Amino acid sequence: MEIIISNSSEIPIYEQIKEQIKIKIISSELKEDDLLPSIRTLAKDLHCSVITTKNAYEELVKEGYIKNVPSKGFYVAKVNKDIAKEEQLNKIEEFMDKAVSIAKMNSINKKVLNEILNILYEEDK
Amino acid sequence: MIGFIKKDLAMIKSNFKLLGVLIFVYAIMGLMGKMDISFILPFMCVMIMISSFSYDNYNKWDAYCISLPNGRKNSVKSKYITTILMTLIVSIITVILSFIISYVNTKTINYEQILVTLFGTVFGTLLVLTIMYPTIYKFGVEKARIGIFLLVFGIVIIGSLLANYVDLSNVLKYLSFLENYLIVILIVVAIIMVYVSYKISEKIFSKKEF
Amino acid sequence: MENILEIKNLCKKYDNFELKNISFNLPKGMIMGFIGENGAGKTTTIKAILNIIKSYSGEIKIFGLDNLKEDKKVKEDIGVVLDDMFFPEILTPNDINNTMKGIYKNWDSKMFYDYLKEFSLLPNKQIKTFSKGMRKKLEIATALSHHPKLLILDEPTSGLDPVARAEVIQIFQNILEKDDCSILLSSHITTDLERIADYITFINNGEILLSKTTNELLDKYGIVKCTEKEFKDIDKKDYIKYKKSKYEYEVLVPNKKEFKTKYNISVIDKITLDDLMVLMIKGEE
Repeated sequence: MEIIISNSSEIPIYEQIKEQIKIKIISSELKEDDLLPSIRTLAKDLHCSVITTKNAYEELVKEGYIKNVPSKGFYVAKVNKDIAKEEQLNKIEEFMDKAVSIAKMNSINKKVLNEILNILYEEDK
Repeated sequence: MIGFIKKDLAMIKSNFKLLGVLIFVYAIMGLMGKMDISFILPFMCVMIMISSFSYDNYNKWDAYCISLPNGRKNSVKSKYITTILMTLIVSIITVILSFIISYVNTKTINYEQILVTLFGTVFGTLLVLTIMYPTIYKFGVEKARIGIFLLVFGIVIIGSLLANYVDLSNVLKYLSFLENYLIVILIVVAIIMVYVSYKISEKIFSKKEF
Repeated sequence: MENILEIKNLCKKYDNFELKNISFNLPKGMIMGFIGENGAGKTTTIKAILNIIKSYSGEIKIFGLDNLKEDKKVKEDIGVVLDDMFFPEILTPNDINNTMKGIYKNWDSKMFYDYLKEFSLLPNKQIKTFSKGMRKKLEIATALSHHPKLLILDEPTSGLDPVARAEVIQIFQNILEKDDCSILLSSHITTDLERIADYITFINNGEILLSKTTNELLDKYGIVKCTEKEFKDIDKKDYIKYKKSKYEYEVLVPNKKEFKTKYNISVIDKITLDDLMVLMIKGEE
């Protein structure tokens, strides 16, 4: 499992961990009932504090992505992929909304916006 | 406790060679019928142990040892036990050598003289320890060294003054009844004074802050 | 959560320095970074915890036990690295092993020699032949080799180069993973602590300025950079300290999210522990 943490990012480290595990679950890289590394092991391997990984796991439990089996560890929960995807779509919408409003403020038309989107989308591939 | 003794022994082990050389010199000189330097040997033990205090001090071991379980008590105890053990071992070696030397030189063994000399030196050695250790714990090695120098100096002066003005033979006459018990008395007094000294050192060190 | 170390109202007076009402707790299984300037009182506090100084007022509990009354019991389970204090340098690591075997009930010779190997320290060389970094590593190896439940480390990374520092920090994290150990780690090299410390306790001039989780500090606190005019509009209770420089005002705010919603100031930087220390010490209220 790969998790990449940026120290300089504005996003808190626990959130970075949380988001990346979430994406792995949605993309089925992590499957239902897979055992996740323990809080302490993850902290050691990511070179971050125990509280950080604990926070990340606690939030993932709260959001239903993983479950805590006492004295055994954390397992990937049964996730409704549609709902999970929906959540991600909402997030995209949020960012797009910002982009659109900036475009409108500066009277940049939809065509240019689409072009930017296309370039960005291809770039990542 | 054993750990602290091992540490003290490890620290002074480089001095064992010196001690060995001294014992060798003593044996040679004795066999050649030259000067008897046996009194130096037990005394050296205390001197070597005092140097261990300097080592401790230099690396601030005293502060560190307090962070170990029972460090305050055991580090003091180990100094006393290590010194006494060393003195006893060296004394036994000295006595055996003295017996041999005596036998080689005179074909008899002068038990009494050898034992009296030995008990005298061991007593003197323990007296130094009794005074020095609490002084070291209180004031540090350097000041204590100056102190012991002044003390010995004072005793010599007072002693020689006494010898000049007081007729010691009279005093000795009064004390002669003690002669038969002399060794027992020396041992008892030595044990008491070392114990008291140990308690004082322990008390001083238990209050020390670094 | 169970506290491994509890300090309550610790006070100690010297002629020219004073510890004032030091209180903080270290929860079980956590690393606490103990930060502050040189001379702020870190070492004095640590010495009080270990009874190296005794005449203080206040209460210190380790594993729930009084540190003075249960001195021996408590110390069996503590590993220490102290700044500038250690074994006499004519001794060798072998001697230390022999000594510690006779001191700690749980001394683990194998573990000790494994660490020596890992740190490339020769067991039969006198400490005086070791460099400063090697000595530190030996001290750390000694502190770890009796399976302590609490590690008290005063500047354990001082004198180490960045590679060795990373190595040592990794070892602390390994212990935290395997043994159920808690760590109080004082350092003025704050970058070591930023990622691995769960809690940060910040001492200045003998007083605890704050004791919080690292996440709360680094994720919530922020530095607002603004003009004088903008600064005048900020409510006093929305910031902790500020520093004026030639071109800008640097303002330490306790909650950057709230700040963002309330004020229209765009530059809010992430904070580092170094920034925090400098602003807390040098900033104005």
